[in-house]
Amino acid sequence: MGAAAPPGTCSSGSALRPGIQVINFCFFFTGLILLFYLVFYGFLAALFTFTMWVMLQTLSSDIPKYRDRISSPGLMISPKPDTALEFYFNRSDSQSYSEYVTTLQSFLESYNDSKQSQNIECTPGKIFDQSDAAVKKACRFNISDLGQCSGKEDANFGYSKGTPCVLVKMNRVIGLKPEGEPHIQCTPKEEGVVNINYFPPNGAMDLMYFPYYGKSLHAHYLQPLVAVQLAITPNGTKEEIAIECKILGSPNLKNQDDRDKFLGRIAFKVLMSE
Amino acid sequence: MNVGCHTSNFIHVPRSRQFGNKNFSSLMLCSLQFSVSLGMQDDHRLSTSDLEKKYGTSIDKGLSSARAAEILARDGPNALTPPKATPEIVKFLKQMIGGFSILLWIGTGFSWISFGIQLAQGVDSAFDNLYLGVVLALVVILTGIFAYYQEAKSTNIMASFSKMIPQQALVLRNAEKKEVPADQLVVGDIVEIKGGDRIPADIRLIFTQGCKVDNSSLTGESEPQSRSCDFTHENPLETRNIAFYSTTCVEGTATGIVINTGDRTIIGRIASLASGVGNEKTPIAIEIEHFVYLVAGVAISIGVLFFIISVSMRYKILDSIIFLIGIIVANVPEGLLATVTVSLSLTAKRMAKKNCLVKNLEAVETLGSTSIICSDKTGTLTQNRMTVAHLWFDNQIYSADTSEDQTTQPFDQSSPSWTALSKIVTLCNRAEFRPGQENLPIMKRVVVGDASETALLKFSEVILGDVMSIRAQNKKVAEIPFNSTNKFQLSIHETDDPHDKRFLLVMKGAPERILERCSTIMINGKEEPLDSEKAEAFQTAYMELGGMGERVLGFCHLYLPENEFPENFKFDTDSMNFPTSNLCFVGLLSMIDPPRSTVPDAVSKCRSAGIKVIMVTGDHPITAKAIAKSVGIISATSETVEDIAKRLNIPVEQVNRREATAAVVNGMELKDMSSEQLDEILREHSEIVFARTSPQQKLIIVEGCQRQGAVVAVTGDGVNDSPALKKADIGIAMGIAGSDAAKNAADMVLLDDNFASIVTGVEEGRLIFDNLKKTIAYTLTKNIAELCPFLIYIIASIPMPIGTITILFIDLGTDIIPSVALAYEKAESDIMNRRPRNKRKDRLVNEQLAVYSYLQIGIMQSVGAFVTYFTVYAEQGFLPSTLLGVRVDWESNAINDFEDSYGQQWTKYQRTYLQWTGYTAFFVSITIQQVADLIIRKTRRNSIFRQGLFRNKVIWVGIFSQIGIALILTYGLGHVTALNFTPLRFQYWFVAVPFAILIWVYDEIRKLLIRRYPGSWWDKNMYY
Repeated sequence: MGAAAPPGTCSSGSALRPGIQVINFCFFFTGLILLFYLVFYGFLAALFTFTMWVMLQTLSSDIPKYRDRISSPGLMISPKPDTALEFYFNRSDSQSYSEYVTTLQSFLESYNDSKQSQNIECTPGKIFDQSDAAVKKACRFNISDLGQCSGKEDANFGYSKGTPCVLVKMNRVIGLKPEGEPHIQCTPKEEGVVNINYFPPNGAMDLMYFPYYGKSLHAHYLQPLVAVQLAITPNGTKEEIAIECKILGSPNLKNQDDRDKFLGRIAFKVLMSE
Repeated sequence: MNVGCHTSNFIHVPRSRQFGNKNFSSLMLCSLQFSVSLGMQDDHRLSTSDLEKKYGTSIDKGLSSARAAEILARDGPNALTPPKATPEIVKFLKQMIGGFSILLWIGTGFSWISFGIQLAQGVDSAFDNLYLGVVLALVVILTGIFAYYQEAKSTNIMASFSKMIPQQALVLRNAEKKEVPADQLVVGDIVEIKGGDRIPADIRLIFTQGCKVDNSSLTGESEPQSRSCDFTHENPLETRNIAFYSTTCVEGTATGIVINTGDRTIIGRIASLASGVGNEKTPIAIEIEHFVYLVAGVAISIGVLFFIISVSMRYKILDSIIFLIGIIVANVPEGLLATVTVSLSLTAKRMAKKNCLVKNLEAVETLGSTSIICSDKTGTLTQNRMTVAHLWFDNQIYSADTSEDQTTQPFDQSSPSWTALSKIVTLCNRAEFRPGQENLPIMKRVVVGDASETALLKFSEVILGDVMSIRAQNKKVAEIPFNSTNKFQLSIHETDDPHDKRFLLVMKGAPERILERCSTIMINGKEEPLDSEKAEAFQTAYMELGGMGERVLGFCHLYLPENEFPENFKFDTDSMNFPTSNLCFVGLLSMIDPPRSTVPDAVSKCRSAGIKVIMVTGDHPITAKAIAKSVGIISATSETVEDIAKRLNIPVEQVNRREATAAVVNGMELKDMSSEQLDEILREHSEIVFARTSPQQKLIIVEGCQRQGAVVAVTGDGVNDSPALKKADIGIAMGIAGSDAAKNAADMVLLDDNFASIVTGVEEGRLIFDNLKKTIAYTLTKNIAELCPFLIYIIASIPMPIGTITILFIDLGTDIIPSVALAYEKAESDIMNRRPRNKRKDRLVNEQLAVYSYLQIGIMQSVGAFVTYFTVYAEQGFLPSTLLGVRVDWESNAINDFEDSYGQQWTKYQRTYLQWTGYTAFFVSITIQQVADLIIRKTRRNSIFRQGLFRNKVIWVGIFSQIGIALILTYGLGHVTALNFTPLRFQYWFVAVPFAILIWVYDEIRKLLIRRYPGSWWDKNMYY
């Protein structure tokens, strides 16, 4: 589209006046057109900026105006393989799982005690409502709660032993207060191929980590994690193991949406060779 | 070839063109002439017995039924083959690939290709592309079906028109007379015809009795021609012993041998030649083509440009192709061509109500761009009936009322001379009203009798009342009817005064012949001797009336002395035992076929609308000129070369031709003219009358006008008019007087034969051109608002602001009714006060329109829609800064913890749903701003407030439908995933409102500046 062609001005001008005058005439009109569009688009740009600025002024920097599009959180795992949530590794080849291990290590970095110095100990099993407080405090999440999957006992997170760890987390949603006793439960598609251990026990997600108050108010917030240890039996090494994890025990956390396959649940596959 | 041409004097071919092989018409007429002479070379020369031999028939017995059946099987039925129609399937397929359809088919193809590739790659969303392809294909097919349906509907109107009552012919077969359907006639059949019949085939006459035929449908000459069995001319078309198919026998009877049937008749040949004349593209078709090229050009160049950009920005080829589809869909106004069709057919309907039946929808606009109308005189400009226009008695000329619905006559009727004259007019007249019409207005009653007598009968009925009882009171005792040798009509009556036993002899006829028989003249009721002074006065009056192109009749009477002619006197008309000289001259009456009362106004409208009206008639130049003057085709002040010569008293050759604005060209002069000379006449004179022309010359005149670059409308009724009707940019056939061939060849049929109806048609045509401009401007605007999202999506990698399906919902949903509503918009100013549009300069879609719609209003709409889009995302947690460059992650199925500006995490589906909310918001914003766009498009120059916001109610229907459809889509169908709509928070409907108001205000300023500074830089660039 580019700059607007000056309709009819130059051509009619040149038909009337010969010589240098024409060129001036033409330049004048082309210039006028350019000037017009400069002013016109300048005005529109200014108007756009101004309206956007006005709109942004109406927004709070702490919480979004509406949160109805994420009333219920999704589940996600770490490490997250590039290829559509499928883990492929050889327990005897450390190269094959090193990427998972480093991802887990860097993910858990923020959960190190040193990073959590400002975080407070909260009362387990209770919603930690701080709506009246000006400064929102973050609850401490003890990395040791993740047991064998904490990386402290086994730097390889069990990948070398055939008991790989996967961390399940729930998406942060501002103001979400889970009801009941939310916990993660994973089920393999086939029986007997894998034994699943949860850290913390039962895959519980403590209510004290909720609600979340948003990035700016709740700076040091750490979302609770559930580690899932997959003790793969010798039967399970032959083929892919499909596992689905769900959040259970809380009536206001959805886990059965037809369209959203990640709402309160997550499915992944593991194929371990020896 | 040339042999045929040289011997021709039926068809006049200008010499200069005779050998020009490019000139189709002269070729065509030559070949017509040639084939005509071939086919009927001898039949008019042969003797009856030779004819019997040639056709194996017998004059007494006719053909045998078996023989007739044989010939019928060989030659086929005696009917004209209808013009070859395009097969319906071809018409249908044409609609499928015409216009933008090709672009959409390309889009469909790409969608399916990318579906195939993605399916092979196992991408989840592959089916989206399949559906998109299906939707695009459906759009093309549905709009195609719609256009086809519209087209078919207007064709059907015509089909019903050409239906005819089956004709019967009286034929001699197996020595028996019987009635057979005319299409069963074969060559060699002996047929009988009588007055009132249509000639059922080309017939060589072998027996006639006072037979006269009306050849007007063939030659345009309206005077009935007598037919006899004699071979009078070498040319079969001129000889008297042949009667032609489809002409009418006016009076008498005749018997003849059928020599040609069906398509081999003269009419059949002309009709088939006419269908050979190619139909030129209508101006609106050219405009729409131009517009389609323009939009398709923009679509393809932007598409390709961004394809290259996206490839060089390292998008995958497949993604780039999907972008390309989006850009094409956004750029193509899918609903527009359907809208144009609807607008045209709405206008066609409106025109049909005003008696202009349009056969071809596009002809609606052609009429509006007409710059020359070549009109017939008789019936179109005139009432097609003789009417008394002037009277002369007591040495004074009186004018009579000639309007269509006269009920009284205003001239002074107190003189006793008038009483005498009225008596002659009433009594010396054989015409009679058909019984049973007492309740009809006099002017509408059917009369048995010839044109002049009818005129006189109606004239006296209007003034005196019940003529039939007057005639009964003045019993007729003897009568000599009019004949061409004595040129008078005479009758002798008893008087209605019981005390007056004298007989009254009344006579009317050619004025000079009547005067010869008179010795006295009646002045104020007294007989005075007819001296040279009085004879001079008569001459002056006669010349004056004749000079007005009127047919003049003289009237005289004589009271026969009672002693010589007693009550029981036996009058003998053969021996003429009564005086026919030394009569008393009473007065003159002159008659003319007067102009229709609406015509002068219509002609002056044409004049102010810059349309040249040319009269083409077979009539005498004087009559033609008189009518031309009275309707204003030749204005009161303008003069022809001859007029100037007469005024200055110099020879015609010395007159500066440029001083004469008017010209009356005789058919004989036209015959000898080169095309350059004709061009000169058409160029130099603004007021032209062609008199004494044959219908063939009409074609030459039309071509001459077209050489001047004019858009030519031509009226015609005869079969021979059909080539000219076809050749003209718009052929107008007469609905009442027109022949079927003319109606077939024409683009339009004038139901009331009235010239004034053409002018209302022109007005409608011009209006629809203006309104289509508005419709297109309205439709094009939002294309930018649909296109910008794609471009910004590609460049800035933001989440997709609007979906392809959503775009289709605007183009084919919310926008359709409003764009049709603009067709109902009233004219901004008097459109009949400006010149016809220049075919080359005044385009339907010009640069100004495209630039203003695309680069100004379109961009404003885009800004408004983007503000809504960003507002929706920001209020849900994604601030504008977060959105830039997120496209890849945003669209990744594997990322289900996508973080927004507030630290919340979103799954893919939650993001997609938000994206659909964005689509809906964008859609709603465009719709809201299209309401403003619709309002500003009501006018191009005037303020909306002057045009009236509420005058066009349909616009409001459009606005409500637009908003209604949007409401249904968002709230009603918001849960149907495939449509990508979501229920939207109510306040988002208002985000774009300030921008809508801005569009309105900006356009008002634009129009204000255009009105304030006409001709300025602003006017040139901003007026579309």
